[in-house]
Amino acid sequence: MKIFRPDGAIAQPPHALSPGRRVLAGARIGVLDNLKPNAGLLMTTAAEPLAERAGTGTPLVLTKNAAKPAPEEVLDQLRREVDLVLTGSAD
Amino acid sequence: MNESELIDLVDESPERLYGLFADSGWGDGLPVVAPTEQRVDAMLSAHPGSPDEILAVVPPRSGACTVRMAAINAVMAGCPPEVFPVVVAAMRGLGRPEFNLRGVQATTHSVAIMVGVHGRVVDQAGYNAGFGTFGPGNRANATTGRAVRLILLHVGGGRPGDGDASTQGQPAKYTYCFAENAPASPWPLYPQCRGVDAPSAVTVAGVEGPHNIHDMWSTHPAPILTKVASVMTTLGSNNAVMSESEFFIVLCPEHAQQAAAEGWSREDVQLFLHQKARQSRAVKQQHFGSVGMEPPWMRSIDEPDAMLPMTGRPEDIRVMVSGGPGKHSCVIPSWGSISRSVTLPVDS
Repeated sequence: MKIFRPDGAIAQPPHALSPGRRVLAGARIGVLDNLKPNAGLLMTTAAEPLAERAGTGTPLVLTKNAAKPAPEEVLDQLRREVDLVLTGSAD
Repeated sequence: MNESELIDLVDESPERLYGLFADSGWGDGLPVVAPTEQRVDAMLSAHPGSPDEILAVVPPRSGACTVRMAAINAVMAGCPPEVFPVVVAAMRGLGRPEFNLRGVQATTHSVAIMVGVHGRVVDQAGYNAGFGTFGPGNRANATTGRAVRLILLHVGGGRPGDGDASTQGQPAKYTYCFAENAPASPWPLYPQCRGVDAPSAVTVAGVEGPHNIHDMWSTHPAPILTKVASVMTTLGSNNAVMSESEFFIVLCPEHAQQAAAEGWSREDVQLFLHQKARQSRAVKQQHFGSVGMEPPWMRSIDEPDAMLPMTGRPEDIRVMVSGGPGKHSCVIPSWGSISRSVTLPVDS
């Protein structure tokens, strides 16, 4: 006998990550803080020395709600103003 | 039909199905009905449209929940074809952007998807709107909620620890379906207050399990609803930290009729609860600091003694009537303002 698979086809392929940056020098660093406890602290603490080594000043820190996609205007600003973004969760 | 959608099976014994599903990472841990072509066709006969229509793209796997895929999972859940239009409408609702299904599926919160069934289809498909409407013992209630969950597991890939990061989960993630008891309600059918004027409708909401409200002593609505308000003000729910969220208040017929006997409409109940379910600015500040999410008008209130409503708008306190005889109602907190419930017509 035959039965149907219960999962079906993928409707939208997953987004690919951008290729990793090979040279840090000159890279503008950003942080996308999801507002989970200590996320901003952890990522900003990591971003600041990176920005110092890159010689590009203070990292740009933007926020989003952890439960929702980042607003388009936040993504647009990141595209315009930074070359490397730290994001993710913390606690 | 694509042959790659089919699996060869020696027989459909529970042991064989368990083995297949365990090997494939499918199922909810309970026995399933084998989704044979004949059974799926019978399920699809309850839907007048195309089986290839995509009802929702289900995250995080981004699987296409076609009508056929919904039917396959409905068969597995044990649905009779009569409930399939409700499953179809529920999946359409979950695909709406305001529901934020990606967040509901993937969060660490224990949010489950509640399916409320309204109108003519309640009797037509045999839903239980009376004794134990949220509980076991009725095929339509049990299998409708389970079909939705199986779709989330299979099409959406929302498996615990993988696509679903829920810290503890909750029993309502197996199945969570009830029916509005319209004949015992003193108020218009719930979908009408959401602008849905259809003979049958479904509501989907990302919520906690029901929190019981017991009051068999009061003869006036105020003390009954004061107990409801007391449960609404619990500090542990997402409603406390997100003050633009929905609550569902499912009153038993006797509590609702006591309110109506005193001339209270559904809107009166909402306004009373909006006034009564409050926390002080000092308590909110102590527990949530700057993390709390509030509507702009609320943010400007900083006096420590100011009593702030648990949700910004009375209409976000969703009131309906369900259950049998007895004096037990319930409060159902939501996942928060990051997901909005959806009410849609059922094509039956």
